[in-house]
Amino acid sequence: MAIIEIEKLTKSYRVYQKKEGLIASIGGLFHREYREVKAVQAIDLTVEEGEFVAFLGPNGAGKTTTLKLLSGVINPDSGACRVMGHVPWERENEYRRRFALVMGQKNQLWWDLPALESFRLHQHIYGIELGQFNRTLDELTEMLDVSHLLGQPVRELSLGERMKMELIAALLHSPHVLFLDEPTIGLDVIAQHKIQQFLKAYQEERKNTIILTSHYMKDIAALCQRVVIIASGSIYHDGSLADIVDKFSSEKIVTLQLSDEASLTGLKDLPNILEVQPPRIKFMVERDEVGQTLSEILSQHCVDDVVVEDPPLEEVIASAFSEAQRSREKETSTPEQVR
Amino acid sequence: MVHTRVMTWWTFFLISINERLVYRGDFMLGTLMRFLPTLTQIFLWWAIYDAISTEGTANSIAGPDGDIAGFRFGDMVAYYLMVIISRAFSSMPGLTSGIANQVRDGEIKKFLIQPVDMIGCLLMQRIAHKLVYYFIAILPFALVFWLCRDFFIDGWPPADVLIVFFASLILAFLLGFFLECCIGLISFWFLEVTSLTFIYMLMNFLLSGHMFPLELLPESPVNIRIWVELTPLKYLAYFPAAVFLGKIRGAEMYQGLAIEVAWVVFFIVLSRILWRRGVKRYSGFGG
Amino acid sequence: MQPSYVKVFLTFARNSLIRDMSFRTNFIMQCLSSIAWAGMNFALFKIIYQFTDSIGRGSGWEENEFFVFLGTIWIINSLIQTFFMANAQEFSELIRTGKLDFALLKPIDTQFLISFPRVNWSQVPNGLLGLGLVIVSVRQLQLDPSKELYFSVGMVIIYLIFVICGAFVMYSVMIILASTSIWLGRNQNLYNFWFYITNFYRYPMEIYQRNGIGWALWGTFTFVVPILVVSNIPARVLAQPLGTPFKTWELGLAAYAVIAAIGSLFISRSIFKLALKSYRSASS
Repeated sequence: MAIIEIEKLTKSYRVYQKKEGLIASIGGLFHREYREVKAVQAIDLTVEEGEFVAFLGPNGAGKTTTLKLLSGVINPDSGACRVMGHVPWERENEYRRRFALVMGQKNQLWWDLPALESFRLHQHIYGIELGQFNRTLDELTEMLDVSHLLGQPVRELSLGERMKMELIAALLHSPHVLFLDEPTIGLDVIAQHKIQQFLKAYQEERKNTIILTSHYMKDIAALCQRVVIIASGSIYHDGSLADIVDKFSSEKIVTLQLSDEASLTGLKDLPNILEVQPPRIKFMVERDEVGQTLSEILSQHCVDDVVVEDPPLEEVIASAFSEAQRSREKETSTPEQVR
Repeated sequence: MVHTRVMTWWTFFLISINERLVYRGDFMLGTLMRFLPTLTQIFLWWAIYDAISTEGTANSIAGPDGDIAGFRFGDMVAYYLMVIISRAFSSMPGLTSGIANQVRDGEIKKFLIQPVDMIGCLLMQRIAHKLVYYFIAILPFALVFWLCRDFFIDGWPPADVLIVFFASLILAFLLGFFLECCIGLISFWFLEVTSLTFIYMLMNFLLSGHMFPLELLPESPVNIRIWVELTPLKYLAYFPAAVFLGKIRGAEMYQGLAIEVAWVVFFIVLSRILWRRGVKRYSGFGG
Repeated sequence: MQPSYVKVFLTFARNSLIRDMSFRTNFIMQCLSSIAWAGMNFALFKIIYQFTDSIGRGSGWEENEFFVFLGTIWIINSLIQTFFMANAQEFSELIRTGKLDFALLKPIDTQFLISFPRVNWSQVPNGLLGLGLVIVSVRQLQLDPSKELYFSVGMVIIYLIFVICGAFVMYSVMIILASTSIWLGRNQNLYNFWFYITNFYRYPMEIYQRNGIGWALWGTFTFVVPILVVSNIPARVLAQPLGTPFKTWELGLAAYAVIAAIGSLFISRSIFKLALKSYRSASS
C-alpha cells in the first residue's frame, strides 16, 4: 500500500474583495464581495514509501495548500486522502507523532530563547525518551554543524542558522514522513547547499518519504527523482526531471568556439543567436535538427570546441508553467464567480 | 511647495482611514462595547448614594438624593459620561510606544528621506483615526446620551460655556497628542521609555479625573489636590467635563482655558525641539 | 511516547520565567503597573468610604467586607492574567499569522497547547497583594465586635475552591472570545471586550438588584455568562456581609457556581473545536 494516497482532493477559499476609496470601504462594513479561489482541484496522487518527491509550480498553484491538507492543518471541501493509513485532518495524535512539516517562511521556535529550550519543549510534547532525544539531537546538530549555536537565542541567529534549527526541531521525533515547504527560501547559496546535502544524506540513511516544494531548481535537481508540476490547483505533470526537459523544451543550446574570426562573420546569419563573444558564439537549435546543423557548420568552418546543452532548467520549467496555465484557462470556460 | 505638502498629508490621511476599515467585525463591536463599564458605574454609584440618601432606595431614574463633594448622584453619572467624551479626544493609545518602537527599530529612517515629517504624519493618522471612529460612533454615542439625559440634572449649559467646552475638547486632543509625542521622542535618548510611560499613566489615573472627579481628592493628611494645579493632566479628562457641568464657572473657566492653551503651545514647541535634536543624535539603531 | 502534560506545562513556566527575566525592565514595569492599578482602585474606595457607610443600603458590604471582595477580585484577576490572558491574545495572533499551523501539527491537545505556553510571572505580585488584602480585611472583621464572623479552615478551603471555579469560568469565557478570532479576523478588540464584560463582576452583585435593567444584567451575568458568581461566591464565603453564610439561597448559588464552572469548561471546549474546523491558515 502506498504511504500517501490522495484521491480527488479539493479545497477552495473565499477571498474577500476590498474596494478602493473611502465610501466603498465604509460600505465594506456592511457587505462584502468575495470570489472563490479553487486552490486545489480534485487532485490524485500516490506516493510510495522512500520516495523523494518535488512539488513544483508557480506561486498560488496550490502546492502549499496540498501540503497543509496532507498535514491536517486544514480541512478539504471534498475528496479523500490517507497518509500512513491515517486521515490527516482528523489530527490523531498517533498520526501527528509520525510526520513533520517544515515551512520555510514561518518560524516556530521561541524567539527569545535558545533553540535548545524549544527542542526540550518538543521532547516533552512528543514524549521522546531522554537518551534517545540526546542521541538524535547530537546527530542532527553535527550533521548540520550547529552544535555551538544551541545556547544562543534564536533571534540572534542568521537566517540560514535559524532554518537549520527549524529542521532539527522537525526531525527530533524521527518522523516517518516529512513535508518541506520551501525550506531554502531566502537563504544564501552556501546555506542552501548545506541543507540540500543534509537532506540527501538524511533521506538516504533513513529512507523516509519526503515531499519538497521549492522554487530553486538546484534543490530539486539535487534531491528528487520525481517531480510533480502543480499549476492552478491541478497536477500537470508527474515524472522525472529528465522527462520534463524532454517534454517541455524543444530546443538545445549550442556553444561553439571558433578558431578564426572569419568563421564568425560567416555564422552571423544563423537564426536564434543568443550571444556572440568572439571567438565564441551561442545559439539555439531545435532538438531534432542539432545533428544536421552541427555537421553543416563543422564541415564549413574550423571549430575548436562544441558544447550542446539543455536550456537552463528555470526556463524550461517556466515555459512548462505558462503552458500549464494556458491549458488550465482553456479548460475552465466559465470565468471565476463573482458574487 | 505648500500644496504638495498638503497633498501628501492628505494622502497619508486617506491611507490611514482606509487602514482602519479593513477589519469590519472588529470595528462595529468595539464601538458598542465602550459603554458597558458606564452601566456598571451607574449601578455602583447608585448603591453608594443609596446608603447616604434620606429618601430610601428610589427606583426612579432620578435616583437617590445626597451629596458627595458637591456632586449629586445625577452629576456623578453625568461626570463619568462627559469624561468618556473628553477622553475620546485626548487618549492616544499606542502613540508613545509606537514612536519608541520606531526609533528602536530604525523605522525612523523612512521619515528622514520622505518629505513629510514624522510628527505631522502621526498627527494626520490620529486625526484620521479619531474622525473615522467617531463618525461611526456618533450613533451609539447619541443613543447612550439620550438614554441618560435625565442624569444631566441641569440640562444643557449656556452657549458661552458650550463654546469653551468644545474649545477645551480640541485642546485636549492636541494636549494629549503632543504630550505623549514628547514622551515618545525621549526614546531618542533613552531607548526604553516604558518606565516614563508608566509614571505618566499612573499620574494620569490619579490626576486627570479619569477615575473620579478631582473634588474627591483629599486635602489631608496629604494634600494631593495641589498636584492637580501643577500638571496639565486635568485637562485630559476633568476640565471639559467640569466645564460642561458647571463645576467651573465664569472667570475661573476662561482662566483654565487660557492655561490649557499655554500648555498645548508648550508641548508643541517641546516636541519640535525634541524631534530636531533627536534626529541629529540619531545613529540608526536596528534596521 | 505519550506527552507528559505536566512536564510540558513546567517547561512552559520555566521558559516564560527565563524570558521574563531577560527583559527585566519590562517585567518590573508590568509588576509595578498592575500593582499600581490595584492600588488606585483601593485608594478610590478608601475615598468613597469616607463619604458612605456601605455600598448598597442594607447589603452588608461595608468597608472591610468590601475589601475582602476587592482582594478576591485581585486574586482572580492575577490568576487570569498570569496563566491565560497572554495566551488568549497570542491565539489571535497565531490565527492571523497562520502560525496556528504549528500547534495543529503537534501530537498533543491543541487547546492545552495554546492555553498555557505563556506564563506571565509579572502578574503574580498582584495576586499576592490581593491575598494580603483579604487576610488583613478578614482579620479586621474578626476583631470587630459588632460582627460575628464565622471563620475556620474549612471556610478557607471552600473559599479557594470557589476561587478556582471562578478562574475556570473566566478561562472559558476567554477561550470562547479568543476562538471568535477565527471568524472575526484580527481581534485587537478582544482585550477591550474582555475588559468591558468583566467589568461587571468587579462589584457586589447587589448593586444590580434594583430595576428592570439591573435585574436583566444580574440575570445575564449569573446564568448566561456566569461571571458574577466568580467574584461574589468566594467573597461571600469569607466576608459574610449578611451574617452567617449558610442561607438557603446562598447555598443554592454556591452549588450553581460549581455547576457553572464545569459547564462553562465543556461549552468552551466545544466552541474551540468548532473554531478549529473553520481555520483557514494564512497564505505564505
